[in-house]
Amino acid sequence: MTRWIPPMIAFAASALVSVSALAHAFLDRAVPSVGATVAQAPAEVTLWFTEPLEPAFSGVAVTKAAGERVDTGTATIDPKDRQELHVPLKLLPSGDYKVSWHVVSVDTHPTQGTFTFDVGGK
Amino acid sequence: MEGLLITARAVHFASVISLNGVLAFECLVAAPAFLAAGASEAATAALRRRLRFLAWLSLAFALVSGAAWLVAVAATISGEPLAAVLSQGTLRVVLIDTRFGEDWLLRLACAVVIAALLAARRESLQRVDPSIRWVGLILATLLLASLAWAGHGAATAGAAGNLHLAGDVLHLAAAGTWLGTLLPFALLLGEAHRGGEACWQTVARAATRRFSVVAIVSVVALLAGGMVNTWFLAGTVPALVGTEYGQLLLSKISLFVAMVVVASVNLLRLTPRLTGAAASQATGQLRRNALIEATLGYAVVAIVALLGILPPGLQTQPGWPFPFRFDFAALSIGAGIAVAILAALIFVCCVGAVAAAAGRYRITAGLAAGLALCSAAAWAPLRGAVKHAYPTSFYAPAQPYAAGSVVRGASIYAADCAACHGASGKGDGPAAAGLPIRPANLTEAQLFAHTPGELFWWVSHGRANAAMPGFADVLKPSRRWDVINFIRARAAGVQSGAVGSTLATEATAPVPDFAFEVCGTQTTLGQMLERGPLLLVLYEPPAPVARLEELAAGQPRLAAAGLRVVAVKLGDASDGDEAAPAVVVHVSRRVDKSLALFRAPGSNESELMLDRSGNVRLRWTASNLAPPDRLVAEAERVARAPLPHKAMPVTSTN
Repeated sequence: MTRWIPPMIAFAASALVSVSALAHAFLDRAVPSVGATVAQAPAEVTLWFTEPLEPAFSGVAVTKAAGERVDTGTATIDPKDRQELHVPLKLLPSGDYKVSWHVVSVDTHPTQGTFTFDVGGK
Repeated sequence: MEGLLITARAVHFASVISLNGVLAFECLVAAPAFLAAGASEAATAALRRRLRFLAWLSLAFALVSGAAWLVAVAATISGEPLAAVLSQGTLRVVLIDTRFGEDWLLRLACAVVIAALLAARRESLQRVDPSIRWVGLILATLLLASLAWAGHGAATAGAAGNLHLAGDVLHLAAAGTWLGTLLPFALLLGEAHRGGEACWQTVARAATRRFSVVAIVSVVALLAGGMVNTWFLAGTVPALVGTEYGQLLLSKISLFVAMVVVASVNLLRLTPRLTGAAASQATGQLRRNALIEATLGYAVVAIVALLGILPPGLQTQPGWPFPFRFDFAALSIGAGIAVAILAALIFVCCVGAVAAAAGRYRITAGLAAGLALCSAAAWAPLRGAVKHAYPTSFYAPAQPYAAGSVVRGASIYAADCAACHGASGKGDGPAAAGLPIRPANLTEAQLFAHTPGELFWWVSHGRANAAMPGFADVLKPSRRWDVINFIRARAAGVQSGAVGSTLATEATAPVPDFAFEVCGTQTTLGQMLERGPLLLVLYEPPAPVARLEELAAGQPRLAAAGLRVVAVKLGDASDGDEAAPAVVVHVSRRVDKSLALFRAPGSNESELMLDRSGNVRLRWTASNLAPPDRLVAEAERVARAPLPHKAMPVTSTN
């Protein structure tokens, strides 16, 4: 029996680090920030999520209040960090904008959400 | 679609665990036991045929359910109906372009090789070459453990993610080795129970001894890993008892405990009897208990299938089911000691359960009595920490504690709350005189003794004092959170007025987060605070140019000491600030209004030193500003000062 003790301890110890990540990707932060007012029109929106994403099934639409798309339609996931999504924008005039994101985390859970930001609101 | 996904997950987990279990049982238990008992080929043929059948059945179910899982995932993540997924090439994209797909292709390859090995064994009439058995077991373990890449562990990035993944892999392997081997073990005991050749009693004894070792190793690994997992995914007591995820997790743990109790009975009471006169009866009981354990275990698997698609407890609002809560901050003992006491109590309960399983009822009774006595004695000091609670007590604010929300809350407050609570929040509004009791003063430190969730309950449903009405029908939940953010920010501002130029040991409440631009790049207060303490300078025109320039010039030294400086101009933003010193940042009107809550009355400049949680720890006004040397010294002390518990995370409103 005693010869089983060291492998048992090793096995139990390694199981202690068995920490699963959270299952669903949520928005961690964004630039421009959620609800922020920015003085200069940003060239892109960057979103950071709480988990790595699947590029094939993740996307973002940025729209003006009237519903017109103002992003160039080519949201890309940062090749160095799969949690970071870049959305290039057209030249934005002052006004309120809505960012609608729908993403799939690498553990296949879809999530979505929206936030707004405001350009030149002084 | 969810139904298909959950069913596919449940069947797949169960069948892969079963496949892994059969192969593990052959390698670790059956083959050595046959050898030890000197059982002949002919005597064991029937059992080996049954085990082979179970392996093939498990593999077939694993393939079908794996395919169903893939289709369900493709439909879920693409948002397309099933028919479209099957006809329009979505499956191909999922298989080739996602990590889940890569994992599935690898696992399919694994399954094919296992099938080939099983088929090869069927041809051979001789005793199977042990190395083929071990290769089969390794592949089956890979097939099971690689489920971790399709699960939560895969979603953590970096080195921590690899550790999580390794942990998940071991957790799955341990589950497969224990739960999977139970059914084969019951088959073996059934064969032994039926009698047959004389060697079977020896086989049963040897197999039981080996199985016990395998089971104990697996249970220890499962228990340790499971406890840590629970802590990280459900995290807090409210998340555990108040969310669907947490409750399912609790039922999973209960089933697991029931399995361990049955296993203890097997190990401590039935196994010793295998050598005695009642050996045959004990074998029968062992077999029955193994089947009960397996049933409980596969129920756990069904729960796991469901858990994997729910958002974890920490990401949902927990509904608190009890009318009271414990406020550990009100206790004199630290949280670490409380956890240690709790762990000791759980350990005593476990020892008691094992003693009961072994039939040592006196020890059990003694432990139970001691536990009851300790609980009674512990009640007196604990009673002070019991507070009234509401279903929303542990809700996390659904709006971030930030300038935008605070300013929205301010205008709602002015319209709906100021009549009674007063424009300044001191409970002295014009309508207050006509009320049976005086409205609460919302600027006192007492406000922070209540959780945001409790304030949310009162704003939503009023209080049973015939004065405070509920606003659930008037304001959307997000607007109610705005009001709460405003009230908390204003109270934080009023309380910070008591902070002076000596370090406040008690944290007040944090400054609301805000976004600003430095040299065209956007950042937030929260992001700056992650790097250390911060000096927030609030001033009104005319700008204290000399001071701002002193701070700007001292910035390299302050930054070296870990202190960042952010200066914000309050009030009218229209005058040109092109020549403003480098410490001045550009903010919107909303931020300006929110920060004005922290302005020192009667001074056109205030400087607040914030700790990493955003609490005001030091405060200077225009008349007694600190020289840069002093700021450096204070920043080092603030950085060392203990922080209050972390603010509750903001829950996504999606």
